[in-house]
Amino acid sequence: METIISVLVDATLITLVLALAAFGLAIIYGLIGVINMGHGAMLTLGAYLTWATTTAGVPFILAVIFAALGVAIVGLLLEHIIIRHFYDKPFDTLLLTWAFFLIMTEVIKIVFGTDFRNVPNPLPGAIDFGTIKIPAYRGAIAIFSLLLIGATAFVFYKTNLGIKIRALIQNREVASLLGLNVSRTYKFVFGIGSGIAGLAGGLISPMLSVDPYIGNVYLVRSFFVVIVGGVGQLLGGTLIGSFFIGGAETIFALFSKQVFAQSIVFLLAIVILRYRPAGILKQS
Amino acid sequence: MSKDITKSTISRRTVLKGITAAAGVAVAPTFIKNLRAADNIKVGIISPLTGAWTVYGKAHISGFELAVDEINAAGGVLGRQLELVVGDSKTEPRIVVEQANRLIRQEKVDFLAGTFSSAERNAAGPVVKSANKILLYPTFYEGQEKEYYPGVCNKNVFMFGPEPTQQVWPHLEYIMKKYGKKFFMIGSDYAWPRVTNLVTKRKLDELGGEVVGEVYIPFGTPQYESVLRDIRKSGADVIFHSLTGSDTVNFRQQFAAAGMKEDFALWTVDDEEVVTTGLGPEVSGGDYVSFDYFMSIKHPNNASFLERFKKKFGADALMNTVGVAMYNAAHMSAKAIEAAGKMDTDSLRDALGGIEFANAPQGPVKMRALDHQIVVPSYLMRVRNDWTSVNDMFEEVQSFEAVEPLDARCDLPL
Repeated sequence: METIISVLVDATLITLVLALAAFGLAIIYGLIGVINMGHGAMLTLGAYLTWATTTAGVPFILAVIFAALGVAIVGLLLEHIIIRHFYDKPFDTLLLTWAFFLIMTEVIKIVFGTDFRNVPNPLPGAIDFGTIKIPAYRGAIAIFSLLLIGATAFVFYKTNLGIKIRALIQNREVASLLGLNVSRTYKFVFGIGSGIAGLAGGLISPMLSVDPYIGNVYLVRSFFVVIVGGVGQLLGGTLIGSFFIGGAETIFALFSKQVFAQSIVFLLAIVILRYRPAGILKQS
Repeated sequence: MSKDITKSTISRRTVLKGITAAAGVAVAPTFIKNLRAADNIKVGIISPLTGAWTVYGKAHISGFELAVDEINAAGGVLGRQLELVVGDSKTEPRIVVEQANRLIRQEKVDFLAGTFSSAERNAAGPVVKSANKILLYPTFYEGQEKEYYPGVCNKNVFMFGPEPTQQVWPHLEYIMKKYGKKFFMIGSDYAWPRVTNLVTKRKLDELGGEVVGEVYIPFGTPQYESVLRDIRKSGADVIFHSLTGSDTVNFRQQFAAAGMKEDFALWTVDDEEVVTTGLGPEVSGGDYVSFDYFMSIKHPNNASFLERFKKKFGADALMNTVGVAMYNAAHMSAKAIEAAGKMDTDSLRDALGGIEFANAPQGPVKMRALDHQIVVPSYLMRVRNDWTSVNDMFEEVQSFEAVEPLDARCDLPL
């Protein structure tokens, strides 16, 4: 029983942290169809900006906000200079954002160096629930992740802006004929997605080593999350995808070696996509 | 008037003469330079300057550079200067093969030093074997087993870093007495951690210890909940840790965040100055580390070494066991060439076996002729709880001078 509870808690924590890391990608890829290979570099940049500002003595929360804004600005510049000319060509955006990833990684190396950096854990210690202990910071991140995804879903489904974005996804031409400013909405979504990637990078930085490749471990996983969950399924898709890619791993690890657990998870993802090519939550 | 004269003097012949002379002048310096370059002893360095292990690359290459500066300032070797040609391994064994071939065939280096991980060394092994060039390998590693030939047990490869019977065995008894007999082994999923654990287990069995868990983690694993749960349930006393790169930081941060530091002793055989700096004092404080060299060891050789190192690379530059091994490799190969009186692979190989280096930063070291394994000191350190920099990071727990390894498991002598 104790094991079951602790496995469930672990699976929940992993799912929510992964959902946070993948959410920026879910927005950019899911809503405006840009296959953002630069997502990993955005996470990395967010982590480094957080490291740089906390090292300068800024409180952690402010540092994370700064990181989110910084990455949002970089995202907006990328969109304005390059991406907006290629919305009709998803494959081109894949290559362009990959180039962005490569350039950004090198820039990060030049500016911040290649040494391991660390962001001190703002909430050290664990909360003791008797049978299980939950690391305080990880728990806080999980709750924040839920709130963030919930709030975004609220904006998406309940506000005027959300209606505009959904109209745009359903039919771009008609939406623009009806007077919707397509390019501005795209820019807005791209900026928000980038900012959330930066925010996630900042928030996961105390749990991981801050190095120029910190975002890479999440890049492939994030894509699997979005594709398995269903492209465009912001709320449920991200959570279910994260559970299959992250949470399932900890459950499989109960019965098998770590290496097998990771392989089984990716195998499972491929099997899911074979039978539901548009993702779990989407009818093809 | 003068214009006319000038015009008339430029005949076809003068033009031809002029061109020939100009060409001669232009060629001469490169010709002279080539002659001089042929006079240098060229050393090919393969360092992880980009890719996953970039963090280690800096100390790796700067150790060798410092030694070469010192050797050249003192008049070089056999009156010739040492010249470095650098190849970036990009932390990929495939690139190591390309670089080793380039350095040997195009740059025509006299010998090679470097490669970082065991996988990189194993990639370089066949190249130096077929080209008959010496490779000086600096990293702490798993020891030589015949089955991994020609990456190890190769007469052209010399090991300047400690192997488990030097790095781990001397300290097992102390750790077991203090914390208990049950070990949980966690490492990255490749040759070095697996063989290191295998060798460690032999001594552990001998001392009556027990392995209660053993996991190998794929590279680039961000989350460790299930592993931490297994460790908690295993009833282990000591976590024996051989994760590498960013995985080590990820695991240890989550281990500390889970509040498990007070319940388990952690002993790492991977995390030197560079990684521990990345961990910060809250995460690393109280943990054990063992190596042949630390920046904080109190040997007089080390004090003067660090002074020279910081003068060249700045007060904040980091050194570690691998950088020091590169430093020793440069000095010892220079001594060997000097002793042999000439630079060719066979005489360098013969002369390197048995070479001693009294000024090594960690204390006197010696290269064994039998299996090309260096004899080095072994230090067990504990990370201070409130360290502020590499200068006060480690506190010495115990140390041994000149630890002889077990003979390599190869066809000896190499």
